Amino acid sequence: MRATLSRDIALGIVPIILIGALWQAIVVFGYAPPSLLPPPGAVFTRLAQQLVGIDFLSQAGATLLRLFVGFAIAVVLGIGIGLMAAVHRGVDAVVRPLVRVLAPVPKVALYPALLLLLGFDHASKIALVAADALFPILLSTYYGATTIEQKLVWSALAAGTLPHQVLYKVVLPAALPSILTGCRIGLVISCIVVFLAEMISSTDGLGYLLVRAARSFQTVDMFVPLISISLLGLALNGVLYCARKVLLRGFPEV
Amino acid sequence: MSAVADDGSGRRGLSAGAFAPLLACLGLLVAWQIGAMLLATDSIPTALDALRAVPDVLLSRDGLINILDSIRRMVIGLAAAVVVSIPLGLVMGRARAVAAFFNPILMVIYPVPKAALMPIIMLWLGVGDLSKTLVIFLAVTLPIIYHSFEGAKAVEEKMIWSGAAMGMSRAQIMARIVLPAALPEILAGCRTGLVLALITMVTSEMIARKSGAGNILFNALDMGQYDTVFAMIIVVGALGIVLDAAFDRLRRFLVAWSETRQDIPLSFS
Amino acid sequence: MYHGLRKAGTRSKVEEASPGAAALAAPPMIAIEGVSQTFKTAGRKEHLAISNVDLEIADGAFVSILGPSGCGKSTLLYIVGGFVMPTAGSVKVRGRAVTGPGPDRGPVFQEFALFPWKTVLGNVTYGLRQQGVPRFEAEERGHKLLAMVGLKGFEAFYPKELSGGMKQRVAIARTLAYNPSVLLMDEPFGALDAHTRTRLQNDLLEIWERDRKTVLFVTHAVDEAVYLSDKVIVMSRSPGRIKQVIDIDLPRPRRRAELLLDPHYQKYVVDIERLIEDAPEDAVHT
Repeated sequence: MRATLSRDIALGIVPIILIGALWQAIVVFGYAPPSLLPPPGAVFTRLAQQLVGIDFLSQAGATLLRLFVGFAIAVVLGIGIGLMAAVHRGVDAVVRPLVRVLAPVPKVALYPALLLLLGFDHASKIALVAADALFPILLSTYYGATTIEQKLVWSALAAGTLPHQVLYKVVLPAALPSILTGCRIGLVISCIVVFLAEMISSTDGLGYLLVRAARSFQTVDMFVPLISISLLGLALNGVLYCARKVLLRGFPEV
Repeated sequence: MSAVADDGSGRRGLSAGAFAPLLACLGLLVAWQIGAMLLATDSIPTALDALRAVPDVLLSRDGLINILDSIRRMVIGLAAAVVVSIPLGLVMGRARAVAAFFNPILMVIYPVPKAALMPIIMLWLGVGDLSKTLVIFLAVTLPIIYHSFEGAKAVEEKMIWSGAAMGMSRAQIMARIVLPAALPEILAGCRTGLVLALITMVTSEMIARKSGAGNILFNALDMGQYDTVFAMIIVVGALGIVLDAAFDRLRRFLVAWSETRQDIPLSFS
Repeated sequence: MYHGLRKAGTRSKVEEASPGAAALAAPPMIAIEGVSQTFKTAGRKEHLAISNVDLEIADGAFVSILGPSGCGKSTLLYIVGGFVMPTAGSVKVRGRAVTGPGPDRGPVFQEFALFPWKTVLGNVTYGLRQQGVPRFEAEERGHKLLAMVGLKGFEAFYPKELSGGMKQRVAIARTLAYNPSVLLMDEPFGALDAHTRTRLQNDLLEIWERDRKTVLFVTHAVDEAVYLSDKVIVMSRSPGRIKQVIDIDLPRPRRRAELLLDPHYQKYVVDIERLIEDAPEDAVHT
């Protein structure tokens, strides 16, 4: 088992190294001018420099803030509505067609409307993040809650659980694997959307940094926010993975 | 609560087919209308104003060309992505080494919004079709690869053994056993890809304004033509809904044999 | 000697194995009256699962419901449990109508239905905590119950780490914890291998002997039904009706080694198997 694990890791690093080498080679052999494609060394040095700079950190902070608040709203609403729709026919009848209509709409198309409604600062971006992350969480919650074993509910009822308690004592924990999967997807979407929103119109944040660097043709500075959002996404994914391990320790691996 | 006692019918939720979603659309439009009227600002036109502007946008030569350009780029990007991603995902699903090779780099790329690569790609490839199509291609490949991977991984070993026992080559097994068996999952990935394609299309055009629906959208925003802005929102939204519904039809036809989940689409899954 | 088999259709009063005047005078523990169940299938067609079942079960009786698949025996159990509402008829437990599930009727399911997010102890103490028993006391009682079902030492395990037989023991302990008057068991040993099944059957009888709860035991295995029960209720194919009620007059406590060689036991099994195979009209005469 351990042999295959280390083999997997080795294999996984290879493409990254290959691409790095390719990148370096392209620059060194002059296939692309450094203004278009700076060498990897320059990019990562710049990244390291920025990471300790106050300016960069405050920009990253703005992005993180919008990401977290938007994601948190999506989680609360998504789980709440998803659970209610799963157990209550009336709610289901209202929610289902609405989700059917709204889910395929690219929420980013609504972004101009949000800008007009909520202004150009945090609120519109938080709203966009929440709107985009909401649906995967809602859908996974709904799916998880409607596919739980009926007999779990029956066992709980027979044991004396009151009907109104079933929702948070049985349905919610039983649907947790599905809910967490939806949250993982929602998190990635939040990263993507917050960055895009900042690119389209913002005065701060990682996305803004990218656009600013593009406008002044600072290619090196363009790579920095991209790599940052990728690292951010990976880190947050890692946190969620750990949370999943803890919360789902009783569940069989699926 | 419906989870509690069962009257034995075993059905949950009423779905009146297409009727309920249409009703939902109507409800949303009405809510919009009322909200806009209450707000009474120039920047938020009422639903009726926006709807009236839709034919203007669609029927004007400029508008139509832009929208068709958008759709064309999206289709090309999607098609190329499907052709590349499905085989890659399938092979990853069955060959552990291949999966180990590609997984980490894919995970690194995943959180990066492909439309955010636009400024860099624009520098290399200009603001024309190629850069936007490339970005759409990149955006769509990821979910399809991932879903093909998961779908192929989940194919029962015994089915593959049966194929091998019948003398099928690895390629044949892939094409005739793994692919059909993984098809439901692959199509779920394609559905996600479709949604992402739409988003990437719009945002790439917002960033590299030259043509396209996103271009119209933001030009109108810059010029204060709010009716047009919202008209384009409706158009793009409608496009998304129509494409998704059409895709669902196709999906149900292709995988009628499998037990699919409930009909609510899973975006981004 | 064993009692004769009664014909279908008559109102069958199931008497206790150990008769007593007091037992006959008391109201039946479970009274099922005219219960029918119709399901709507996907094609909007209606499927009559159970048709007009009348049944009375006395306190402390161990009663099996036997029948081929699809005869509605599980459905009948769920109706008694209050998990499913009958389309016609009523069920009374201790004279009170059944309107929903409750801790007086504790289920044990074939699929175990343990809460995966709780430990073994957490599962067992669930009902107690619901009743408001303070945590410390609940856990103490939980420990005792787990010891009784032979799972001492497994309190901190999660259900996924247990074998099928162990999971079912936990399920039984969980139900016993809240002390129901009636145990509703739905093919509880059906998912287990033969050896584990035998062990659990014996353990169940041992546990039952202690406080003699009323047990409704659904199974499709004839030998299991005869081995465990005081009465066997044979149901017909769909739509499920009571075909026949058979009193099992075998001595308790039941010892497997003796019973397997006992010709009375063997005759019960053979007769009932034949009964299930037969067309509805046939009844085996003594």
